Amino acid sequence: MNKPGASIVVFACNWDGLSCIEVAAQKGLSYPASVKIVRVSCLSRVHSGLILKAFELGANGVMLLGCSRSGCHFEIESGLIEQEYEKTRNILGLLGLREKKLALIRLPGGDGPGFVKQVNDFIAGIEQTEPAAAQ
Amino acid sequence: MQNIEHEIKDTNIRLCLDCGKCTVVCPIAQHDPAFNPRLIAQRRLSQNSRGSRDDTIWSCLSCYMCMERCNYHVKFPSFIHALRAESLSEGTQIQCNHGGAIQAMMRLMARGDLQQKRLGWLPKDVELSSQSDTLFFVGCAPYFDVLFSDLGVNALEGVKGALKLLNRAQVPFNIIANERCCGRDLLLQGDRKGFTVLAKANMDEFTRHGVKKIITNCPECYYTLKVNYPNMLGSTGIQVMHLTQVVAPLVQGGKLSLGKLEKRVTYQDPCTLGRCSRIFNEPRQVLSAVAGLKLVEMEQSREKALCCGSNSWLQCGAVNRQIQKQRFAQAEISGAEILVTACPKCQIHLRCAQKSSDGKIARLEILDLASLAAQSLD
Repeated sequence: MNKPGASIVVFACNWDGLSCIEVAAQKGLSYPASVKIVRVSCLSRVHSGLILKAFELGANGVMLLGCSRSGCHFEIESGLIEQEYEKTRNILGLLGLREKKLALIRLPGGDGPGFVKQVNDFIAGIEQTEPAAAQ
Repeated sequence: MQNIEHEIKDTNIRLCLDCGKCTVVCPIAQHDPAFNPRLIAQRRLSQNSRGSRDDTIWSCLSCYMCMERCNYHVKFPSFIHALRAESLSEGTQIQCNHGGAIQAMMRLMARGDLQQKRLGWLPKDVELSSQSDTLFFVGCAPYFDVLFSDLGVNALEGVKGALKLLNRAQVPFNIIANERCCGRDLLLQGDRKGFTVLAKANMDEFTRHGVKKIITNCPECYYTLKVNYPNMLGSTGIQVMHLTQVVAPLVQGGKLSLGKLEKRVTYQDPCTLGRCSRIFNEPRQVLSAVAGLKLVEMEQSREKALCCGSNSWLQCGAVNRQIQKQRFAQAEISGAEILVTACPKCQIHLRCAQKSSDGKIARLEILDLASLAAQSLD
């Protein structure tokens, strides 16, 4: 499974998001090595500048991985990430880059298999529309 | 580095008499004692400046106020741009506003294989002349409206207004789907390489479409296409005009008649259009052509106009907010209901100040000049 593939940046929140990735690692579930994890304290910390920077630096896709809306560790989910996600999707659309290159995924804590499935589906979607990304 | 030294020499900075008039009129220096144009020049020109880094150069607004006042016409903004290019080449990391989103967007636009989908907003009733050699350069307005949607920015209203005015005046023009950002902000930040890539990509598009004349609504695009492109790439052979330069003679000559709007407005001279490009009269002529519109001037206007407070998406903070507060106070005193500007970036910065104010900033309506003039046609 560890073939080189589309270069993906995952911004994972420090709580449920990261726990999914840790569980995936503990269970020995594999996902492509081209997936780079960036840990952030909360997804609300991620803004369009960071996402666009990842694309500027050559990422083929960016995944935002965080807690479920009601499960935010900071009790009140501000909805900021939704705003930034929509905004960035629209910018990508204007740039003619496919909006599919950006995903916002919310998973319950410790869902390792869920994360691996989501990231693999995401990569498959990108490689299907953008075969050059697979190399 | 040889080039930078040469460029610095060309700014006439060595004629600086150390009189400090630049610093007295500088809007940043008035609120931030750490920023001192006179001392920036002095430090850079002193013999032992090599190797020392001047962190204050990033605060300059490129508002051209210093140049207006300087007896020797020292091109201080160009001097700052050269220092920034020098600093960037030495590896300085700059702090960009909005998380660097705009810079990242500009660099993404520099990609060769880019196929933008940026014309979704184009109203169906706009008449384009695909055979025309005149191009209306839209600029980054579609991107601004998305990025600053939370501020209620509608730069595209200005563009739509401009197109409506041109259609009404029967000026033929075309729009191209894959124009890039003009790159001005990268140039002002000192990223010459990034700017050149964008400029070349745009020039290729212009050549491919046989463009002979360009009309812009954004003053920054206007100046960049007119002055910076030929400077960096050699003569382009393209005539560049700001929308007000096209519309003002038409309304004055009776070829285009605007409608009626009973409003009291004041006009914010964008620095790049006013002091930098010397276009002061045309916007006012367009406004005066709207029947019922009363134009009142702010305390600082025309050559002395105060900047909207921020530039090239760098260093926006408490000092910039002070400048904006000062500008809004002047607008309020003028008694205007609407603050009209001809620059989408002024609109963004002023709306931002209004939104994040503590209620002490006037709740004036902010409108683009072209959209206001087009409103009168309805």
